[in-house]
Amino acid sequence: MYINNMSRVVLIRFRSGFEYPPQKSDYRNILEFGLAKLAETASASDAAKKLIPGGKIGIKTNCLARQMNSTPPALAEAFVDILAAAGFEENDMIIWDRTNRELEQAGYRLNASSFGYRCLGTDTNGIGYSNDFYSSGEVNSLVSTIMTEMIDYSVNMPILKDHSIAGLSGCLKNMYGAVHNPNKYHADNCSPFAAQVSDLKPLREKHRLAVIDAVRVQYHGGPGFNSGYLSKYGGLILAIDPVAADTVGLTILNHLRAANGLPPLEKAGRPVNFLKIAEELGLGTADLNKIDLLSFREDGNGNFVKAGFPE
Amino acid sequence: MVSNTELLPEFLGGIQNACAFDYVKELAMVEARHYRKLDEGGIECGICPRHCRITDLERGYCGVRENHGDKYYSLVYGIPCAVNIDPIEKKPLFHFHPGTNAFSVATAGCNVNCKFCQNWDISQNRPEQTNNIELPPKTAVDICRERKIPTIAYTYSEPVIFYEYMYDMAELGQKHGIKSVMITGGYIEEKPLAELMPQLDAIKVDLKSIREDYYKTIVNGELQPVLDRLVQMKKYGIWLEIVTLIVPTLNDTDQEFRDLARWIKENLGADTPLHYSRFYPQYLLKDLPPTPQSTLQRAYDISRAEGLNFVYLGNIAGHPAESTFCPGCGKVLIERRGFRIMQYNLNGNKCKFCQREIPGIF
Repeated sequence: MYINNMSRVVLIRFRSGFEYPPQKSDYRNILEFGLAKLAETASASDAAKKLIPGGKIGIKTNCLARQMNSTPPALAEAFVDILAAAGFEENDMIIWDRTNRELEQAGYRLNASSFGYRCLGTDTNGIGYSNDFYSSGEVNSLVSTIMTEMIDYSVNMPILKDHSIAGLSGCLKNMYGAVHNPNKYHADNCSPFAAQVSDLKPLREKHRLAVIDAVRVQYHGGPGFNSGYLSKYGGLILAIDPVAADTVGLTILNHLRAANGLPPLEKAGRPVNFLKIAEELGLGTADLNKIDLLSFREDGNGNFVKAGFPE
Repeated sequence: MVSNTELLPEFLGGIQNACAFDYVKELAMVEARHYRKLDEGGIECGICPRHCRITDLERGYCGVRENHGDKYYSLVYGIPCAVNIDPIEKKPLFHFHPGTNAFSVATAGCNVNCKFCQNWDISQNRPEQTNNIELPPKTAVDICRERKIPTIAYTYSEPVIFYEYMYDMAELGQKHGIKSVMITGGYIEEKPLAELMPQLDAIKVDLKSIREDYYKTIVNGELQPVLDRLVQMKKYGIWLEIVTLIVPTLNDTDQEFRDLARWIKENLGADTPLHYSRFYPQYLLKDLPPTPQSTLQRAYDISRAEGLNFVYLGNIAGHPAESTFCPGCGKVLIERRGFRIMQYNLNGNKCKFCQREIPGIF
């Protein structure tokens, strides 16, 4: 999970004035650059092979909030294309979330066939949840069999947004969609639950990569779409460490809140305590000072240049 | 463990045209009652003491009530996941029309999360994860009328979370002479309960412990609101029975049995039936043994000594404490074996030996 003893996070921003929404080719461009930086390889294909050993790969999206505020299909498909170009079998890749309805409403085309990448909800006939409970601390849950049986490695691909209870919705909160009883884990701003859900054995052991879409960030009024609080931040966060990715995401969220006259989440009564708990569970790094953050921006000429953070 | 709706066609026999037996894939969208919109956006549910605050597209703790554009909806109205015809003794209600059947209905979801739940496969799942059938209130009432089933029981999971469905079915049933009983944990707010009780004929409450810390750690709820609602039910005058599941090492001390019996006697009266039920390892407490018979006997003895007139032991077939004894003459009034009635010695609501009035609805 660490590179040079630090959790590395790569933040890449689209060029100023980018056109929203980005197309698959736009996403692919910055994904390829970011993956190579993350893995310290010459190419995205080499990075993919270094980061993910092979086998069957699940890409866990967050499609709660329909097309306006969910993981964009263009991002997930761009990622699939990069892996396919690196030699991964397309049909071994599953873009998934808890229900088919949510995937479809977010713009995904379901596919359970043997051709092309698959796209499935846990509620697909014959999938469902594990027979056995998995536990960590106060969390006791059945886990989607997509996670427990159908995949070998997991890519956590949420959208960065404000959450009315959790404060931050990113990688850890995204895993609520992998268990059968997420409604039981919202007390106390989702702490310690969001950390403990990600600590469930199959989730913890199969995790390989975090990719957070921070292109258009709902910095307040989430997790549903709320047009009054949107910022075209234009970012993509890549990390192996999901806690570090969320920690960077939280910094961005609070930065955008401040820029729009809102208090940080902690002062808004929604402290994101579960990141620290996740760190204590060994899931990653919640201290920004201990994160090797590489920040880049497209310069408008197809090049990436070093950039400040979080501005 | 409850049977699921796969058993339904067998029970419903001749009225298949009235009811679709295929599992329904779509969830219901019936506006919930007892919620308010918040100035800052979102809604606050007022059905139970949790008062979940829920923003767009999110659900409450129960998992079956969802905010859509700051309108709150029940997702389980008319789509139960468990439907059976049970003896009323199975609820258990021992002083309510003994020997009759109850058309028993449940949807997915619950507003607590008891670690010992016997029906967790429906109560702790969301409605997408259960097999649901379409059963509008009218169909349920028609079934009861056609098959001469006198009572509908809202049971198995937690009927508070399918309040609207229960309310409408009970109201309609009442118009057609069908009684309704709620089998509940009693974790409900005062106002919805007050509005619901006129539609009901009896309530059985699982008073899971008399200790607040047990509610916090084992039930994931609160004790005090349950006690408040019990007093409210008693004050209203609805027929009420209490069940306490005895879980080894967690709520099985003499002091707890004494405190429980005293609270019931002081607040609900000595004639309120108290059923102690035997725990079997389930759900998240598979590491505990079943309740020893000696513990159940101890609970029985202490509660009787504290002055409760009707104490029962459940999930322990063949024990004499399954039967009802007259507090006046000590003779057996209703002899039970499991859910079967072997002897019945009541004339109306009086002991046929000593004429003592026996509380309940007989």
